[in-house]
Amino acid sequence: MAEIKRRHLKYELQNKKVKLTKADHVFNVVVNLFMVFILIVILIPVWSTITLSFRPNDYLGSNLEGMFLPPWQWSPDAYTALLGNDGFLDAFFNSFRILVGGVATALILTIPMAYVLSVHSLPGRKIINLIVIIPYVFNVGMIPTYLLVRDLGLMNHLSAVFLPGAISTYNCIIMRQFFVGIPNELKESARIDGCTELQVLFRIILPLSKAIVMTIGLYYGVSFWNDFFNAMLYLNDNQPLPILLRNILLASGMNEYVEVNAFGNAPVSAIKAASVFMSAIPMIVAYPFIQKYFTKGTLLGSVKG
Amino acid sequence: MTTAENKERSTSQVLQKPARSKLRREISRHRSVYLLALIPLVYYIIFKYVPIWNAQIAFRDFMAVRGVTGSEWIGLENFRTFVDSFYFWSLIRNTVMYSVGKLVISLPLSIILAICIYECTKPGLRKVVQTLAYLPHFLSWVIMYGILLALLAPGDGVVNDVIKLAGGKAIDFLSNVKTFPWVVLFSDAWKEMGWSAIIFIAALMGIDVSLFEAAMVEGANSWQRVRYITIPAIMPVVVTVLILKLGTILDAGFNQIFMLYSPQVYSVADIIDTWVYRQGLLEFEFGLATAVGLFKGVFGMMLVLFANWLSRRLTDNSLF
Repeated sequence: MAEIKRRHLKYELQNKKVKLTKADHVFNVVVNLFMVFILIVILIPVWSTITLSFRPNDYLGSNLEGMFLPPWQWSPDAYTALLGNDGFLDAFFNSFRILVGGVATALILTIPMAYVLSVHSLPGRKIINLIVIIPYVFNVGMIPTYLLVRDLGLMNHLSAVFLPGAISTYNCIIMRQFFVGIPNELKESARIDGCTELQVLFRIILPLSKAIVMTIGLYYGVSFWNDFFNAMLYLNDNQPLPILLRNILLASGMNEYVEVNAFGNAPVSAIKAASVFMSAIPMIVAYPFIQKYFTKGTLLGSVKG
Repeated sequence: MTTAENKERSTSQVLQKPARSKLRREISRHRSVYLLALIPLVYYIIFKYVPIWNAQIAFRDFMAVRGVTGSEWIGLENFRTFVDSFYFWSLIRNTVMYSVGKLVISLPLSIILAICIYECTKPGLRKVVQTLAYLPHFLSWVIMYGILLALLAPGDGVVNDVIKLAGGKAIDFLSNVKTFPWVVLFSDAWKEMGWSAIIFIAALMGIDVSLFEAAMVEGANSWQRVRYITIPAIMPVVVTVLILKLGTILDAGFNQIFMLYSPQVYSVADIIDTWVYRQGLLEFEFGLATAVGLFKGVFGMMLVLFANWLSRRLTDNSLF
């Protein structure tokens, strides 16, 4: 957030000119303490999960003590067990297919829809807008959609996971808002130069909309990668990661869930924690790359919704 | 032909053209736009309007073999069953309790966090907090459940280790009716606090810095600057967020509660959506479950429309 930084530089210059009072110092201390507090609150659960996932099999102490176990006593057993397990790798691969297929489908459908809604001179735009808004405002719940997916014969197809949510009207509205903000002169001049609407979209609009496309793509990606509900409803086999993770987490003992047994000699709680961490890794790895886009894109979307 | 002639001709042409053919010309000029709209609109018809059509089974005695239109009409029977049942009020109460509770806890937290991120004088700390605070928003509730297990499990959770260390008795947070709602509220705050702060940070960045400079020259300290400049400046955004949340008050977070709850805590955990899921897809009472979903949908629609209207009236911001 370069914006904040610039403002703060100005601020600090000012601070040097005006003498800080005691109240100002107290304020700064309180602000920084709160920030550290938030940091700790965020990190404790994450840290307890990470250390738990590296717990050695012969560890006897409590989990609280385990949080302070020195890293050289950690054991990667849970991870080697997970990575050596076919079920886990299959689930990972299924999740990946849902992610790629879902994001591609969603963007192919959402971008044109958002663009069409942004063309102000279009006769009938109000009607199309209404067609888009009505199901968004009037949500009939999960059963009618379930019946639809069943009737379409999509049961047990990976596409059943992402097709019902392939256009999120909210994302579509944010994207349209961005397209509307692109100066009309650019579009008009392209049209006068003989561009068709498709060319305007691809040559003028999209190159200027990298931030919003990345942001919306990220939103879709997150929702498909994280989805467990649709997968639970519609898939019997080929299950993605969240379903496997849920099954592992709900298994309370070694014997109750056979596949946990199949994971070798790491402690069950370590297996659980390791699978939690492994499911989160793609998000964590991709996160820094897209962070700059989503802060930009979200701000654009949120200021004037 | 000279330009003047040309102009005259086109003017007379325009004058002679009736409005109808102008519309036709406009439509034909935009034909490629309609082409672009075609596939998404077909998608909308299938995946958003067919479900609305299917929702008519709320008024039918739905039987899978007879299909949506083949089942018998029974009028409002399903709705009556729901409204008269003993779980009706408890479902409404839980749903509203969770959405209002989440708002009451997260909204002040995210405002304070936004202000602190904005005011923080240590760039490193600010950056780390900002990055980490957004991150949990991207984790699924399945992952969150795993994290909460490591933290709250009765036998070996870290929190219970602390309780035992302090001499207390271990609590099974997730299957105790007293603690479950708090787990729901605070885990949601933990996950979404940073993300909800973004909109307030955006509002803060819109503040004219010269206001602060002027205040400093006048001798206002940091507290006074926050009290008299920052907070009034983000108030409109707070109002907008509040109003828009009003529209989604019946959505109490299906995924979260579905992951965290268990039969022991149904009495305090069940919200409309989880009940619809169990009734419809586990007990196969499609008609009844759809009726409840429709009930929620109609009320939700009225709330959203009202919220949107209110927001436009009061703050000039609206969703559509």
